[in-house]
Amino acid sequence: MQAVLDAISLGGTYALAALGLGLVFGVLKLVNFAHAELITIAAYIMVITNDLPLVVSFLIAALSATALAVLTELTVYRRLRGTGPAIMLIASFGLSVGLQKSFELIFGALPRSAAVAPWMTGSIEMANLNITIASLVTVGLTIFILLAMGYLVDYTTLGLQLRAASADFKTARLLGVRSNRLITSSFAISGVLAAFVGFIVVVENPQVEPMFGLNITILALVGIVIGGISSLRGCALGGFIVGFILSVLNTYLGNARVYAYSYLFMAVVIILLVRPGGILSKGNEMERV
Amino acid sequence: MSLLKVENLCSGYGKVDVLFGISFSLSEGKSLGIVGPNGVGKSTLLKTIAGEIVPKSGVVSLLGEDITGKKPEDIVRLGLSLVPEGRQIFSGLSVTENLLLGLTGRKDKSSSKIALEQVKALFPVLNTHAKHQAGMLSGGQQQQLAISRALLSAPRVLLLDEPSLGLAPNVILDVFEKLKEIIANKTAVVIVEQRAHLVASFADQTIVIRDGQIQATLSSADAKNQELLRGAYFGPGS
Ligand SMILES: Nc1ncnc2c1ncn2[C@@H]1O[C@H](COP(=O)(O)OP(=O)(O)O)[C@@H](O)[C@H]1O
Ligand SMILES: [Mg+2]
Repeated sequence: MQAVLDAISLGGTYALAALGLGLVFGVLKLVNFAHAELITIAAYIMVITNDLPLVVSFLIAALSATALAVLTELTVYRRLRGTGPAIMLIASFGLSVGLQKSFELIFGALPRSAAVAPWMTGSIEMANLNITIASLVTVGLTIFILLAMGYLVDYTTLGLQLRAASADFKTARLLGVRSNRLITSSFAISGVLAAFVGFIVVVENPQVEPMFGLNITILALVGIVIGGISSLRGCALGGFIVGFILSVLNTYLGNARVYAYSYLFMAVVIILLVRPGGILSKGNEMERV
Repeated sequence: MSLLKVENLCSGYGKVDVLFGISFSLSEGKSLGIVGPNGVGKSTLLKTIAGEIVPKSGVVSLLGEDITGKKPEDIVRLGLSLVPEGRQIFSGLSVTENLLLGLTGRKDKSSSKIALEQVKALFPVLNTHAKHQAGMLSGGQQQQLAISRALLSAPRVLLLDEPSLGLAPNVILDVFEKLKEIIANKTAVVIVEQRAHLVASFADQTIVIRDGQIQATLSSADAKNQELLRGAYFGPGS
Protein backbone atom coordinates (compact mmCIF):
# COMPACT_ATOMS: atom_id res chain seq x y z
CA MET A 1 0.00 0.00 0.00
CA GLN A 2 2.73 2.43 0.95
CA ALA A 3 4.62 1.36 -2.17
CA VAL A 4 1.61 2.09 -4.35
CA LEU A 5 1.10 5.49 -2.74
CA ASP A 6 4.81 6.27 -3.15
CA ALA A 7 4.64 5.34 -6.82
CA ILE A 8 1.56 7.48 -7.39
CA SER A 9 3.06 10.42 -5.55
CA LEU A 10 6.36 10.23 -7.42
CA GLY A 11 4.43 9.81 -10.67
CA GLY A 12 2.32 12.86 -9.83
CA THR A 13 5.40 14.93 -9.04
CA TYR A 14 7.03 14.03 -12.34
CA ALA A 15 3.75 14.75 -14.10
CA LEU A 16 3.82 18.30 -12.70
CA ALA A 17 7.40 18.80 -13.84
CA ALA A 18 6.57 17.43 -17.30
CA LEU A 19 3.50 19.65 -17.52
CA GLY A 20 5.58 22.76 -16.83
CA LEU A 21 8.05 21.78 -19.54
CA GLY A 22 5.23 20.87 -21.93
CA LEU A 23 3.46 24.20 -21.51
CA VAL A 24 6.50 26.17 -22.59
CA PHE A 25 7.35 23.69 -25.33
CA GLY A 26 3.81 24.00 -26.68
CA VAL A 27 3.95 27.72 -27.36
CA LEU A 28 7.67 28.17 -28.01
CA LYS A 29 8.74 24.74 -29.32
CA LEU A 30 11.57 25.06 -26.83
CA VAL A 31 12.77 22.49 -24.35
CA ASN A 32 13.47 24.78 -21.41
CA PHE A 33 16.35 23.11 -19.58
CA ALA A 34 16.33 26.01 -17.12
CA HIS A 35 13.07 24.58 -15.78
CA ALA A 36 15.33 22.63 -13.42
CA GLU A 37 16.54 25.86 -11.86
CA LEU A 38 12.97 27.02 -11.28
CA ILE A 39 12.50 23.91 -9.16
CA THR A 40 15.83 24.54 -7.45
CA ILE A 41 15.13 28.17 -6.59
CA ALA A 42 11.77 27.22 -5.08
CA ALA A 43 13.45 24.56 -2.94
CA TYR A 44 16.18 27.00 -1.80
CA ILE A 45 13.58 29.58 -0.82
CA MET A 46 11.56 26.98 1.10
CA VAL A 47 14.66 26.02 3.08
CA ILE A 48 15.76 29.60 3.72
CA THR A 49 12.33 30.81 4.78
CA ASN A 50 11.64 27.68 6.81
CA ASP A 51 11.03 29.72 9.96
CA LEU A 52 8.01 31.36 8.41
CA PRO A 53 4.61 29.63 8.34
CA LEU A 54 4.59 26.97 5.61
CA VAL A 55 2.01 28.74 3.45
CA VAL A 56 3.92 32.02 3.55
CA SER A 57 7.17 30.24 2.84
CA PHE A 58 5.62 28.47 -0.14
CA LEU A 59 4.08 31.68 -1.48
CA ILE A 60 7.50 33.35 -1.47
CA ALA A 61 9.00 30.30 -3.17
CA ALA A 62 6.28 30.24 -5.81
CA LEU A 63 6.66 33.97 -6.44
CA SER A 64 10.42 33.58 -6.81
CA ALA A 65 10.16 30.68 -9.25
CA THR A 66 7.50 32.50 -11.26
CA ALA A 67 9.53 35.70 -11.30
CA LEU A 68 12.63 33.82 -12.43
CA ALA A 69 10.66 32.04 -15.17
CA VAL A 70 9.22 35.30 -16.48
CA LEU A 71 12.60 37.00 -16.20
CA THR A 72 14.32 34.33 -18.34
CA GLU A 73 11.62 34.78 -20.98
CA LEU A 74 11.81 38.57 -21.02
CA THR A 75 15.60 38.88 -20.92
CA VAL A 76 16.77 35.86 -22.91
CA TYR A 77 14.18 33.90 -24.85
CA ARG A 78 12.21 36.86 -26.21
CA ARG A 79 15.34 38.41 -27.67
CA LEU A 80 16.29 35.14 -29.35
CA ARG A 81 12.84 34.35 -30.69
CA GLY A 82 12.99 33.77 -34.42
CA THR A 83 16.68 32.87 -34.43
CA GLY A 84 15.83 29.19 -34.81
CA PRO A 85 15.31 26.21 -32.52
CA ALA A 86 18.99 25.25 -32.20
CA ILE A 87 20.02 28.62 -30.82
CA MET A 88 17.07 28.68 -28.42
CA LEU A 89 17.97 25.21 -27.16
CA ILE A 90 21.60 26.14 -26.59
CA ALA A 91 20.48 29.31 -24.85
CA SER A 92 18.31 27.31 -22.49
CA PHE A 93 21.27 25.02 -21.75
CA GLY A 94 23.47 28.02 -21.09
CA LEU A 95 20.84 29.62 -18.92
CA SER A 96 20.50 26.44 -16.90
CA VAL A 97 24.24 26.18 -16.23
CA GLY A 98 24.53 29.92 -15.62
CA LEU A 99 21.77 29.81 -13.04
CA GLN A 100 23.40 26.83 -11.32
CA LYS A 101 26.61 28.84 -11.00
CA SER A 102 24.66 31.81 -9.68
CA PHE A 103 23.04 29.60 -7.06
CA GLU A 104 26.50 28.39 -6.10
CA LEU A 105 27.66 31.97 -5.64
CA ILE A 106 24.58 33.02 -3.71
CA PHE A 107 23.83 29.94 -1.62
CA GLY A 108 27.18 28.15 -1.62
CA ALA A 109 28.22 24.88 -3.23
CA LEU A 110 27.37 22.85 -0.14
CA PRO A 111 23.79 21.69 0.38
CA ARG A 112 21.51 23.98 2.37
CA SER A 113 19.06 22.06 4.43
CA ALA A 114 16.16 22.51 6.80
CA ALA A 115 13.29 20.33 7.87
CA VAL A 116 10.53 21.69 5.65
CA ALA A 117 7.08 20.73 6.94
CA PRO A 118 8.43 18.19 9.47
CA TRP A 119 4.89 17.03 10.30
CA MET A 120 4.75 15.50 6.85
CA THR A 121 7.49 12.98 7.62
CA GLY A 122 5.30 11.34 10.25
CA SER A 123 2.94 8.54 9.45
CA ILE A 124 -0.61 7.63 10.29
CA GLU A 125 -2.49 4.40 10.79
CA MET A 126 -5.16 3.71 8.17
CA ALA A 127 -7.04 0.41 7.98
CA ASN A 128 -4.18 -1.30 9.78
CA LEU A 129 -1.70 0.19 7.35
CA ASN A 130 1.09 2.58 8.19
CA ILE A 131 1.17 5.37 5.70
CA THR A 132 3.43 8.44 5.59
CA ILE A 133 1.67 11.77 5.67
CA ALA A 134 4.02 13.07 2.98
CA SER A 135 2.79 10.56 0.42
CA LEU A 136 -0.84 11.32 1.24
CA VAL A 137 -0.29 15.07 0.97
CA THR A 138 1.68 14.69 -2.26
CA VAL A 139 -0.97 12.53 -3.87
CA GLY A 140 -3.73 14.91 -2.79
CA LEU A 141 -1.81 17.98 -3.88
CA THR A 142 -0.82 16.64 -7.30
CA ILE A 143 -4.34 15.42 -8.02
CA PHE A 144 -5.65 18.85 -7.10
CA ILE A 145 -3.11 20.67 -9.28
CA LEU A 146 -3.58 18.35 -12.23
CA LEU A 147 -7.35 18.87 -12.05
CA ALA A 148 -6.87 22.63 -11.78
CA MET A 149 -4.54 22.59 -14.78
CA GLY A 150 -7.04 20.45 -16.68
CA TYR A 151 -9.71 23.03 -15.97
CA LEU A 152 -7.44 25.89 -17.00
CA VAL A 153 -6.45 24.26 -20.26
CA ASP A 154 -9.86 22.87 -21.24
CA TYR A 155 -12.31 25.48 -20.02
CA THR A 156 -10.70 28.92 -19.92
CA THR A 157 -9.92 31.41 -22.67
CA LEU A 158 -6.24 31.31 -21.75
CA GLY A 159 -6.30 27.52 -22.04
CA LEU A 160 -7.99 27.65 -25.44
CA GLN A 161 -5.39 30.14 -26.66
CA LEU A 162 -2.62 27.91 -25.30
CA ARG A 163 -3.96 24.92 -27.17
CA ALA A 164 -4.42 26.89 -30.36
CA ALA A 165 -0.97 28.47 -30.19
CA SER A 166 0.63 25.10 -29.48
CA ALA A 167 -0.98 23.70 -32.61
CA ASP A 168 -0.34 26.69 -34.90
CA PHE A 169 1.01 29.92 -33.47
CA LYS A 170 0.89 31.85 -36.75
CA THR A 171 -2.80 31.28 -37.25
CA ALA A 172 -3.53 31.96 -33.57
CA ARG A 173 -1.87 35.36 -33.95
CA LEU A 174 -3.87 36.11 -37.10
CA LEU A 175 -6.96 35.60 -34.98
CA GLY A 176 -5.72 38.03 -32.35
CA VAL A 177 -3.90 35.88 -29.81
CA ARG A 178 -1.27 38.17 -28.26
CA SER A 179 1.96 36.25 -28.64
CA ASN A 180 4.07 37.96 -25.99
CA ARG A 181 1.37 37.85 -23.37
CA LEU A 182 0.60 34.18 -24.02
CA ILE A 183 4.24 33.11 -23.90
CA THR A 184 4.88 35.07 -20.71
CA SER A 185 1.79 33.48 -19.16
CA SER A 186 2.99 29.98 -19.96
CA PHE A 187 6.38 30.73 -18.40
CA ALA A 188 4.61 32.08 -15.31
CA ILE A 189 2.43 28.97 -15.00
CA SER A 190 5.47 26.74 -15.51
CA GLY A 191 7.11 28.66 -12.64
CA VAL A 192 4.18 27.95 -10.32
CA LEU A 193 4.23 24.27 -11.27
CA ALA A 194 8.00 24.15 -10.67
CA ALA A 195 7.44 25.64 -7.20
CA PHE A 196 5.02 22.84 -6.32
CA VAL A 197 7.56 20.30 -7.52
CA GLY A 198 10.31 22.01 -5.52
CA PHE A 199 8.16 21.92 -2.41
CA ILE A 200 7.21 18.26 -2.79
CA VAL A 201 10.79 17.16 -3.45
CA VAL A 202 12.36 19.24 -0.68
CA VAL A 203 10.09 17.66 1.93
CA GLU A 204 11.53 14.24 1.10
CA ASN A 205 15.02 15.42 0.34
CA PRO A 206 15.87 18.58 2.28
CA GLN A 207 19.45 18.81 0.96
CA VAL A 208 19.23 21.60 -1.61
CA GLU A 209 22.26 22.17 -3.82
CA PRO A 210 22.67 24.03 -7.13
CA MET A 211 21.77 20.97 -9.24
CA PHE A 212 18.80 20.03 -7.07
CA GLY A 213 16.18 20.20 -9.86
CA LEU A 214 18.25 18.63 -12.62
CA ASN A 215 17.48 14.96 -12.14
CA ILE A 216 13.73 15.34 -12.00
CA THR A 217 13.75 17.65 -15.01
CA ILE A 218 15.68 15.21 -17.17
CA LEU A 219 13.39 12.36 -16.16
CA ALA A 220 10.36 14.56 -16.80
CA LEU A 221 11.77 15.18 -20.28
CA VAL A 222 11.94 11.43 -20.80
CA GLY A 223 8.30 11.36 -19.71
CA ILE A 224 7.37 13.99 -22.25
CA VAL A 225 8.95 11.98 -25.02
CA ILE A 226 7.07 8.86 -23.92
CA GLY A 227 3.73 10.58 -23.49
CA GLY A 228 3.85 12.66 -26.65
CA ILE A 229 5.23 16.15 -26.62
CA SER A 230 2.46 17.57 -28.77
CA SER A 231 -0.23 17.36 -26.09
CA LEU A 232 -0.25 18.52 -22.48
CA ARG A 233 -2.20 15.44 -21.49
CA GLY A 234 0.52 13.33 -23.06
CA CYS A 235 3.23 15.23 -21.18
CA ALA A 236 1.50 14.76 -17.83
CA LEU A 237 0.79 11.10 -18.51
CA GLY A 238 4.36 10.43 -19.65
CA GLY A 239 5.79 12.17 -16.58
CA PHE A 240 3.50 10.12 -14.39
CA ILE A 241 4.54 6.85 -16.03
CA VAL A 242 8.25 7.60 -15.57
CA GLY A 243 7.83 8.53 -11.92
CA PHE A 244 5.59 5.56 -11.28
CA ILE A 245 7.90 3.03 -12.95
CA LEU A 246 10.95 4.47 -11.21
CA SER A 247 9.32 4.29 -7.82
CA VAL A 248 8.15 0.71 -8.36
CA LEU A 249 11.60 -0.32 -9.60
CA ASN A 250 13.24 1.27 -6.57
CA THR A 251 10.92 -0.62 -4.26
CA TYR A 252 11.22 -4.04 -5.84
CA LEU A 253 14.77 -4.11 -7.14
CA GLY A 254 16.16 -4.00 -3.60
CA ASN A 255 19.94 -4.18 -3.87
CA ALA A 256 19.72 -4.20 -7.66
CA ARG A 257 18.35 -0.67 -7.43
CA VAL A 258 21.35 0.70 -9.33
CA TYR A 259 19.83 -0.86 -12.44
CA ALA A 260 16.57 1.09 -12.06
CA TYR A 261 17.54 3.60 -14.75
CA SER A 262 18.57 0.83 -17.16
CA TYR A 263 15.18 -0.81 -16.83
CA LEU A 264 13.44 2.53 -17.12
CA PHE A 265 15.21 3.40 -20.34
CA MET A 266 14.59 -0.08 -21.71
CA ALA A 267 10.89 0.54 -21.12
CA VAL A 268 11.22 3.92 -22.85
CA VAL A 269 12.84 2.38 -25.93
CA ILE A 270 10.12 -0.25 -26.16
CA ILE A 271 7.35 2.33 -25.84
CA LEU A 272 8.94 4.49 -28.51
CA LEU A 273 9.40 1.54 -30.86
CA VAL A 274 5.69 0.82 -30.60
CA ARG A 275 4.53 4.44 -30.65
CA PRO A 276 7.25 6.73 -32.03
CA GLY A 277 5.20 9.89 -31.45
CA GLY A 278 4.46 9.04 -27.84
CA ILE A 279 1.61 7.18 -26.21
CA LEU A 280 -1.01 9.87 -26.84
CA SER A 281 0.14 10.76 -30.35
CA LYS A 282 -2.30 10.52 -33.20
CA GLY A 283 -0.89 8.36 -35.93
CA ASN A 284 1.98 9.30 -38.18
CA GLU A 285 3.96 11.91 -36.33
CA MET A 286 7.11 10.36 -37.77
CA GLU A 287 6.25 11.61 -41.22
CA ARG A 288 5.83 15.17 -40.05
CA VAL A 289 9.28 15.54 -38.53
CA MET B 1 -12.67 56.77 -48.12
CA SER B 2 -10.68 53.70 -48.99
CA LEU B 3 -10.76 50.99 -46.34
CA LEU B 4 -7.51 49.45 -47.43
CA LYS B 5 -4.70 51.21 -49.24
CA VAL B 6 -1.45 49.59 -50.31
CA GLU B 7 1.28 51.85 -51.66
CA ASN B 8 4.46 50.72 -53.35
CA LEU B 9 4.73 47.59 -51.25
CA CYS B 10 7.97 45.60 -51.50
CA SER B 11 8.18 42.34 -49.59
CA GLY B 12 9.87 38.97 -49.47
CA TYR B 13 11.69 36.50 -47.27
CA GLY B 14 15.10 37.38 -45.87
CA LYS B 15 17.30 38.24 -48.82
CA VAL B 16 14.74 36.96 -51.33
CA ASP B 17 12.58 39.72 -52.81
CA VAL B 18 9.19 38.60 -54.04
CA LEU B 19 7.10 41.75 -54.53
CA PHE B 20 8.37 44.97 -56.13
CA GLY B 21 6.07 47.92 -55.62
CA ILE B 22 2.47 46.78 -55.40
CA SER B 23 -0.19 49.49 -55.09
CA PHE B 24 -3.98 49.32 -54.96
CA SER B 25 -6.84 50.59 -52.89
CA LEU B 26 -10.19 49.20 -51.93
CA SER B 27 -13.31 50.92 -50.66
CA GLU B 28 -16.30 49.81 -48.65
CA GLY B 29 -18.58 47.21 -50.19
CA LYS B 30 -16.08 46.45 -52.94
CA SER B 31 -14.19 43.31 -53.84
CA LEU B 32 -10.76 42.93 -55.34
CA GLY B 33 -9.46 39.82 -57.03
CA ILE B 34 -5.77 38.99 -57.19
CA VAL B 35 -4.64 36.40 -59.70
CA GLY B 36 -1.36 35.16 -61.08
CA PRO B 37 0.56 31.94 -61.63
CA ASN B 38 1.74 29.76 -58.78
CA GLY B 39 4.62 31.25 -56.80
CA VAL B 40 4.35 34.89 -57.95
CA GLY B 41 3.77 36.14 -54.42
CA LYS B 42 0.01 36.34 -53.96
CA SER B 43 0.14 34.75 -50.51
CA THR B 44 3.17 36.84 -49.67
CA LEU B 45 1.16 39.95 -50.46
CA LEU B 46 -1.72 38.96 -48.18
CA LYS B 47 0.63 37.89 -45.38
CA THR B 48 2.42 41.22 -45.62
CA ILE B 49 -0.83 43.18 -45.44
CA ALA B 50 -2.00 41.10 -42.45
CA GLY B 51 1.26 41.67 -40.57
CA GLU B 52 2.70 38.17 -40.75
CA ILE B 53 5.61 39.48 -42.84
CA VAL B 54 7.18 42.91 -42.30
CA PRO B 55 7.51 44.66 -45.68
CA LYS B 56 10.87 45.93 -46.93
CA SER B 57 9.28 49.19 -47.99
CA GLY B 58 5.93 50.70 -48.81
CA VAL B 59 2.88 51.60 -46.78
CA VAL B 60 -0.26 49.71 -45.83
CA SER B 61 -3.11 51.75 -44.38
CA LEU B 62 -6.37 50.55 -42.96
CA LEU B 63 -9.22 53.04 -42.52
CA GLY B 64 -6.69 55.80 -43.02
CA GLU B 65 -4.36 54.53 -40.29
CA ASP B 66 -0.83 53.42 -41.16
CA ILE B 67 -0.54 49.75 -40.12
CA THR B 68 2.77 48.98 -41.83
CA GLY B 69 4.91 46.67 -39.71
CA LYS B 70 2.29 46.20 -37.00
CA LYS B 71 1.84 42.74 -35.48
CA PRO B 72 -0.90 40.48 -36.86
CA GLU B 73 -2.64 40.33 -33.46
CA ASP B 74 -2.90 44.13 -33.47
CA ILE B 75 -3.94 44.44 -37.10
CA VAL B 76 -6.87 42.07 -36.64
CA ARG B 77 -8.08 44.30 -33.80
CA LEU B 78 -7.96 47.27 -36.14
CA GLY B 79 -10.36 45.54 -38.51
CA LEU B 80 -8.47 43.40 -41.01
CA SER B 81 -8.74 39.63 -41.06
CA LEU B 82 -6.98 37.02 -43.18
CA VAL B 83 -8.32 33.59 -44.07
CA PRO B 84 -4.98 31.91 -44.78
CA GLU B 85 -4.12 29.58 -47.61
CA GLY B 86 -5.09 26.01 -46.81
CA ARG B 87 -7.70 27.25 -44.32
CA GLN B 88 -5.52 26.49 -41.27
CA ILE B 89 -8.36 25.57 -39.01
CA PHE B 90 -7.36 24.00 -35.68
CA SER B 91 -8.17 20.43 -36.60
CA GLY B 92 -7.72 19.09 -33.06
CA LEU B 93 -10.16 21.62 -31.59
CA SER B 94 -13.93 21.53 -31.85
CA VAL B 95 -15.83 23.67 -34.33
CA THR B 96 -17.11 25.82 -31.45
CA GLU B 97 -13.58 26.28 -30.07
CA ASN B 98 -12.38 27.38 -33.49
CA LEU B 99 -15.16 29.94 -33.60
CA LEU B 100 -14.45 31.15 -30.06
CA LEU B 101 -10.84 31.76 -31.08
CA GLY B 102 -12.18 33.95 -33.86
CA LEU B 103 -13.61 36.23 -31.19
CA THR B 104 -10.13 36.89 -29.75
CA GLY B 105 -9.47 39.76 -32.14
CA ARG B 106 -12.92 41.28 -31.67
CA LYS B 107 -12.95 44.68 -30.03
CA ASP B 108 -16.62 44.92 -29.12
CA LYS B 109 -17.06 41.85 -26.93
CA SER B 110 -20.62 42.81 -25.94
CA SER B 111 -21.86 41.74 -29.37
CA SER B 112 -19.94 38.43 -29.40
CA LYS B 113 -23.03 36.31 -28.86
CA ILE B 114 -24.95 37.96 -31.68
CA ALA B 115 -21.95 37.62 -33.97
CA LEU B 116 -21.77 33.88 -33.24
CA GLU B 117 -25.47 33.55 -34.08
CA GLN B 118 -24.91 35.49 -37.29
CA VAL B 119 -22.12 33.29 -38.64
CA LYS B 120 -24.09 30.19 -37.73
CA ALA B 121 -27.04 31.61 -39.66
CA LEU B 122 -24.75 32.30 -42.61
CA PHE B 123 -23.21 28.81 -42.44
CA PRO B 124 -25.81 26.53 -40.77
CA VAL B 125 -23.56 23.49 -41.14
CA LEU B 126 -21.35 24.87 -38.36
CA ASN B 127 -24.26 24.61 -35.96
CA THR B 128 -24.91 20.99 -36.85
CA HIS B 129 -21.26 20.09 -36.22
CA ALA B 130 -20.64 22.49 -33.31
CA LYS B 131 -19.22 19.87 -30.97
CA HIS B 132 -17.29 17.87 -33.59
CA GLN B 133 -13.56 18.07 -34.11
CA ALA B 134 -12.90 20.57 -36.84
CA GLY B 135 -10.56 18.12 -38.57
CA MET B 136 -13.51 15.80 -39.21
CA LEU B 137 -15.28 18.37 -41.40
CA SER B 138 -15.19 18.14 -45.19
CA GLY B 139 -13.03 20.58 -47.14
CA GLY B 140 -15.96 22.83 -47.94
CA GLN B 141 -17.14 22.84 -44.36
CA GLN B 142 -13.62 23.66 -43.17
CA GLN B 143 -13.51 26.61 -45.54
CA GLN B 144 -16.83 27.82 -44.16
CA LEU B 145 -15.42 27.48 -40.66
CA ALA B 146 -12.27 29.39 -41.59
CA ILE B 147 -14.30 32.22 -43.11
CA SER B 148 -16.67 32.33 -40.12
CA ARG B 149 -13.75 32.37 -37.71
CA ALA B 150 -12.27 35.34 -39.54
CA LEU B 151 -15.62 37.15 -39.63
CA LEU B 152 -15.99 36.92 -35.85
CA SER B 153 -13.34 39.58 -35.35
CA ALA B 154 -15.80 41.94 -37.12
CA PRO B 155 -13.39 42.86 -39.93
CA ARG B 156 -13.95 45.80 -42.27
CA VAL B 157 -11.53 44.17 -44.67
CA LEU B 158 -11.48 40.42 -45.24
CA LEU B 159 -8.57 38.78 -47.11
CA LEU B 160 -9.06 35.29 -48.51
CA ASP B 161 -6.16 33.22 -49.83
CA GLU B 162 -7.38 30.70 -52.41
CA PRO B 163 -10.73 29.91 -50.79
CA SER B 164 -11.62 27.53 -53.62
CA LEU B 165 -8.52 25.35 -53.18
CA GLY B 166 -9.49 21.69 -53.04
CA LEU B 167 -13.23 22.31 -53.17
CA ALA B 168 -15.77 20.77 -55.55
CA PRO B 169 -17.15 23.20 -58.18
CA ASN B 170 -20.65 23.41 -56.65
CA VAL B 171 -19.16 24.03 -53.20
CA ILE B 172 -17.01 26.85 -54.64
CA LEU B 173 -20.11 28.54 -56.03
CA ASP B 174 -21.73 28.20 -52.61
CA VAL B 175 -18.79 29.85 -50.89
CA PHE B 176 -18.72 32.71 -53.41
CA GLU B 177 -22.47 33.26 -52.91
CA LYS B 178 -21.82 33.70 -49.19
CA LEU B 179 -18.99 36.10 -49.92
CA LYS B 180 -21.49 38.30 -51.78
CA GLU B 181 -23.58 38.52 -48.60
CA ILE B 182 -20.49 39.40 -46.60
CA ILE B 183 -19.49 42.17 -49.01
CA ALA B 184 -23.01 43.59 -48.96
CA ASN B 185 -22.55 43.88 -45.21
CA LYS B 186 -20.18 46.90 -45.39
CA THR B 187 -17.09 44.75 -45.66
CA ALA B 188 -14.47 44.93 -48.36
CA VAL B 189 -13.02 41.65 -49.61
CA VAL B 190 -9.75 40.70 -51.27
CA ILE B 191 -9.72 37.27 -52.90
CA VAL B 192 -6.59 35.57 -54.14
CA GLU B 193 -7.26 32.82 -56.64
CA GLN B 194 -5.39 30.79 -59.20
CA ARG B 195 -8.60 30.28 -61.16
CA ALA B 196 -8.48 33.68 -62.83
CA HIS B 197 -11.82 33.57 -64.64
CA LEU B 198 -13.66 32.56 -61.49
CA VAL B 199 -12.56 35.53 -59.45
CA ALA B 200 -12.34 38.02 -62.31
CA SER B 201 -16.02 37.60 -63.09
CA PHE B 202 -16.90 37.83 -59.42
CA ALA B 203 -14.81 40.76 -58.19
CA ASP B 204 -15.40 44.41 -59.02
CA GLN B 205 -11.79 44.61 -60.07
CA THR B 206 -9.02 42.06 -60.50
CA ILE B 207 -5.31 42.64 -60.58
CA VAL B 208 -2.91 40.28 -62.27
CA ILE B 209 0.48 39.83 -60.61
CA ARG B 210 3.54 38.60 -62.46
CA ASP B 211 7.25 39.12 -61.80
CA GLY B 212 6.41 40.71 -58.47
CA GLN B 213 4.43 43.52 -60.05
CA ILE B 214 0.91 44.33 -61.14
CA GLN B 215 0.73 43.52 -64.85
CA ALA B 216 -2.88 44.40 -65.50
CA THR B 217 -6.04 45.58 -63.83
CA LEU B 218 -9.25 44.07 -65.11
CA SER B 219 -12.88 45.01 -64.57
CA SER B 220 -15.50 42.29 -64.19
CA ALA B 221 -16.54 43.02 -67.80
CA ASP B 222 -13.01 42.25 -68.98
CA ALA B 223 -13.28 38.82 -67.43
CA LYS B 224 -15.60 37.71 -70.23
CA ASN B 225 -12.85 38.45 -72.70
CA GLN B 226 -10.81 35.23 -72.56
CA GLU B 227 -8.14 36.64 -74.82
CA LEU B 228 -7.50 39.63 -72.59
CA LEU B 229 -7.46 37.51 -69.45
CA ARG B 230 -5.00 35.00 -70.85
CA GLY B 231 -2.76 37.75 -72.16
CA ALA B 232 -2.62 39.45 -68.80
CA TYR B 233 -2.04 36.19 -66.98
CA PHE B 234 0.73 34.66 -69.06
CA GLY B 235 2.22 37.73 -70.63
CA PRO B 236 2.27 38.90 -74.25
CA GLY B 237 2.59 36.33 -77.01
CA SER B 238 0.99 33.46 -75.08
N1 LIG C 1 8.51 31.03 -45.98
C1 LIG C 1 9.15 31.28 -47.13
N2 LIG C 1 10.49 31.46 -47.15
C2 LIG C 1 11.15 31.73 -48.29
N3 LIG C 1 10.56 31.84 -49.50
C3 LIG C 1 9.22 31.68 -49.56
C4 LIG C 1 8.46 31.39 -48.38
N4 LIG C 1 7.16 31.29 -48.74
C5 LIG C 1 7.14 31.49 -50.08
N5 LIG C 1 8.35 31.72 -50.58
C6 LIG C 1 8.70 32.02 -51.97
O1 LIG C 1 8.10 33.26 -52.33
C7 LIG C 1 7.56 33.18 -53.61
C8 LIG C 1 6.09 33.58 -53.56
O2 LIG C 1 5.37 32.62 -52.85
P1 LIG C 1 3.83 32.76 -52.55
O3 LIG C 1 3.54 34.12 -52.06
O4 LIG C 1 3.42 31.65 -51.68
O5 LIG C 1 3.22 32.58 -54.02
P2 LIG C 1 1.72 32.34 -54.47
O6 LIG C 1 0.84 32.48 -53.27
O7 LIG C 1 1.48 33.40 -55.49
O8 LIG C 1 1.65 30.99 -55.06
C9 LIG C 1 7.80 31.78 -54.12
O9 LIG C 1 8.90 31.82 -54.97
C10 LIG C 1 8.10 30.98 -52.88
O10 LIG C 1 9.03 29.96 -53.18
MG1 LIG D 1 -0.36 31.10 -52.36
